[in-house]
Amino acid sequence: MNEIIEKAREIITSYDGPKVRIMEVCGTHTHEIFRLGIRSLLPENIDLISGPGCPVCVTQVGFIDEALYLALEKNCLITTFGDLIKVPGTEMNLAKARAKGANIRPVYSPDDAVNLAIENPDKDVVFLSVGFETTTPSSCLAVKRAKELGLNNFSILVANKSMPNAYQKLKGSADAFLYPGHVNAITGNGVCKQLKEEGVSGVVAGFTATELMTALAVTIEMLKKGEPFFVNCYPRVVKDEGSVFAQKLMDEVMELCDTEWRGLGMIEKSGLKLRSEYSDFDSRIKYNMPHIEGKPNPGCRCGEVLQGHCKPSDCPLFGKVCTPLHAVGACMVSDEGACSAFYQYAQ
Amino acid sequence: MCVGLPARVVSVNDGTAIIDANGAKRDVRAELLDDLEPGDYVMVHAGVAIAKISSDDEEEGSEVLGLLAI
Ligand code: SF4
Repeated sequence: MNEIIEKAREIITSYDGPKVRIMEVCGTHTHEIFRLGIRSLLPENIDLISGPGCPVCVTQVGFIDEALYLALEKNCLITTFGDLIKVPGTEMNLAKARAKGANIRPVYSPDDAVNLAIENPDKDVVFLSVGFETTTPSSCLAVKRAKELGLNNFSILVANKSMPNAYQKLKGSADAFLYPGHVNAITGNGVCKQLKEEGVSGVVAGFTATELMTALAVTIEMLKKGEPFFVNCYPRVVKDEGSVFAQKLMDEVMELCDTEWRGLGMIEKSGLKLRSEYSDFDSRIKYNMPHIEGKPNPGCRCGEVLQGHCKPSDCPLFGKVCTPLHAVGACMVSDEGACSAFYQYAQ
Repeated sequence: MCVGLPARVVSVNDGTAIIDANGAKRDVRAELLDDLEPGDYVMVHAGVAIAKISSDDEEEGSEVLGLLAI
């Protein structure tokens, strides 16, 4: 064990103050904290709660239903990050649609979806665009490339989300946040510093064992002081100003809109849609999408899990009806979902 | 889908780069980063290099924990 981890471990395990609640906003943090065994080190008075930072988990059921509509009614070739394939829609998921003959292809990046459109001029290719600021630039680059190439058989179904206004909704759910390092790598630290002014504390955390332990140790030490704080614990990747190029790119291609988050409900100006200059690449406009209202399974408590109001194991379906192989809710599908992390590591 | 991939830049060419992540090479978009050079380390998400990595995590950890002493 390296010296840094040893020092951080000492700070964390010797904490004997009042109970504190720390929210890991990012699903990858949830997963890594479990995988590295960090949870088992924590004394009882440090409560780690999982937040809504997995884009697959917060995507509305209606989005999957829209993708199913394009696959089954409009015969589109649907390209997507693999995680989305098993997320339940109202009646089925994309994997089931594939078994019924729909053309669904997992891709590594939106650019790969553009390549598929180039290679298959006779097919209408749709990319399911989800993600926070970390992933949104890749969709923007793909749309710009498609426009430059004059492709008329490529579009994206957008459900990208923006973190800053979601933090407003999460205020009060925890004593401190572990902010998602790779979102801040794009947005910079301005929003977190502003939140500190509003009394909301947090640190930006990286993803290795050293980084997560350091971030938790700093959080504990700062909480002991009792003043609101913000510390960038991931400076080797996150710069204060973020990526100015990526911010400009997102602003050129997309604009903020109100959107619904699974579990958190409607949050003003927390979603993204393509600007009118790029409307030819907006699947909803291109295919004249009807309004589709998805219906989540009423037994699923993903919404409460995503706000830290309950643990996955409090859901009566957890591990019985709902498992990674037969997921009832999105939080069990994605590797970064809290229910899936609890299932894999806490059973 | 959100897991970042740290990788070493092998070559840079007009907005794209070839990266090496633990021996696996692939093309990524590199327009987001200025002055990228072979040998730099980057964080890759969904086929795009989103940030340069400026040191290793132990160096960073000692810098960050050092702040607590102030
Ligand atoms: S265990 Fe399954 S049904 Fe329960 S909250 Fe998690 S995803 Fe939803």
